[in-house]
Amino acid sequence: MTLRRLSSAAVLLSISVASIAAEMGQTLVNTDLKSEPFADAKTLASLPGNSAVDVLKRQGGWMQVKPAGNSEGWVKMTAVKLGGATTNAKADSGMTALWNTAMQGRSGNTGVTVATGVRGLSPEDMKNAQPAPEQVKKLDSFAATKSQAESAAKSGKLARQNIDYIVDASGARK
Amino acid sequence: MRVRVSLLLGALLLASGPVHAFNLDLNKLIDIGKKTTDLTEVGEQGEAEIGNVSAAALLGAAPLVQNEKLQAYVNEIGLWLAMQTERPDLSWRFGVMDTDSVNAFAAPGGYVFVTRGLLLRMRNEAELAGVLAHEIGHVLKRHHLVAIQKNAKTGLAANLLSMAVDNSSGGYGEWKKKAIGASTELYARGLDKEDEFEADRLGVVIAARAGYDPYGLPSVLQTLDGMNAQDSNLALLFKTHPAARQRLDLLDTAMAGSLERYASQPAMKGRFEKIVGEYARKGK
Repeated sequence: MTLRRLSSAAVLLSISVASIAAEMGQTLVNTDLKSEPFADAKTLASLPGNSAVDVLKRQGGWMQVKPAGNSEGWVKMTAVKLGGATTNAKADSGMTALWNTAMQGRSGNTGVTVATGVRGLSPEDMKNAQPAPEQVKKLDSFAATKSQAESAAKSGKLARQNIDYIVDASGARK
Repeated sequence: MRVRVSLLLGALLLASGPVHAFNLDLNKLIDIGKKTTDLTEVGEQGEAEIGNVSAAALLGAAPLVQNEKLQAYVNEIGLWLAMQTERPDLSWRFGVMDTDSVNAFAAPGGYVFVTRGLLLRMRNEAELAGVLAHEIGHVLKRHHLVAIQKNAKTGLAANLLSMAVDNSSGGYGEWKKKAIGASTELYARGLDKEDEFEADRLGVVIAARAGYDPYGLPSVLQTLDGMNAQDSNLALLFKTHPAARQRLDLLDTAMAGSLERYASQPAMKGRFEKIVGEYARKGK
């Protein structure tokens, strides 16, 4: 790998990391900041509603956050609304930043939303959709076999579990 | 509907002499006639036919992303999830649609789609698995099939019957048009709220069965909740689904005690970032 490739890989990596570290949120209600992602973990502080937090990590139903003026700790994910507290700025999650960078690079512009020329999926678009049977045939060509699915699971160390369905909103199981 | 189908069946039986000349398999007709009195009993073949035209309508609105590696990846993950359910042997098909709109869809018979707009907002494979498993839940419970039956009083069942009669000439264009109209209308309007909540509860269990951290779906709902509700890319999703915050809160309650213990299962961040990141970097 050439040095140039390495450095561009480093840039891409930093974009990826930046897009994740940039996530912000705010507490919806009074929330205990815990030392670990468990309900019975030590409470570090009590955060009032509307506290701005930086989201650092997720684990199950918990989020590791860094509130302004407090050390980092864990809160229930349901206690946090993502997005900036005081502005309308909404953090882009996931791979959005990578895509936007690629689209900007392609158009030669920067900071401009690029029209991709792809049809949207508004309620009106949906009603007026003309069928594309050739696309369904194409879809067939991407189908996986069970053994391919199994080896993807195996390489990801995904272990099958026997778990009953949840049958109602209370969490009761079959 | 029931009366209408019986009448049609009767008429066809009376006409069995001349119809026979057109290559009618009478036993097959009677068999299907019995089944089509209720669309939930059209059998897997009828379900797959309706799914096929519904998928064609969806892909007419937004085509597939042209990236074989990405599509193959989503199919492997999707099938692995479907294999953990009571309908592992449907012809499961998974696809990424080329649109900025943020959404996911299911169609009868095993079709599941996620849009690029939603995929790119995900952080790991467990989130993708959660969304695919929610859509798999709709297929398992035949939510779209039942809704089409309930709402499209178009004699679809009777038309399915005539399709079976005349399957050699490909002469069921009329039937297909009706099925497409009924399904696009449904995708624009959405399912019942209860169907969505049920698919959420099924989805998190299926993801956990497949070995994933089951909090992928709640995490995606939290992302949706944090997005600007005025964003036009969210218009269809928000119109057709209960509020993401409500779904998240309901799931959190339902999962407590039963699925929390699986939260340490892998979220597969590395593989997701590699494959989806590679696609995102290319910008197509």
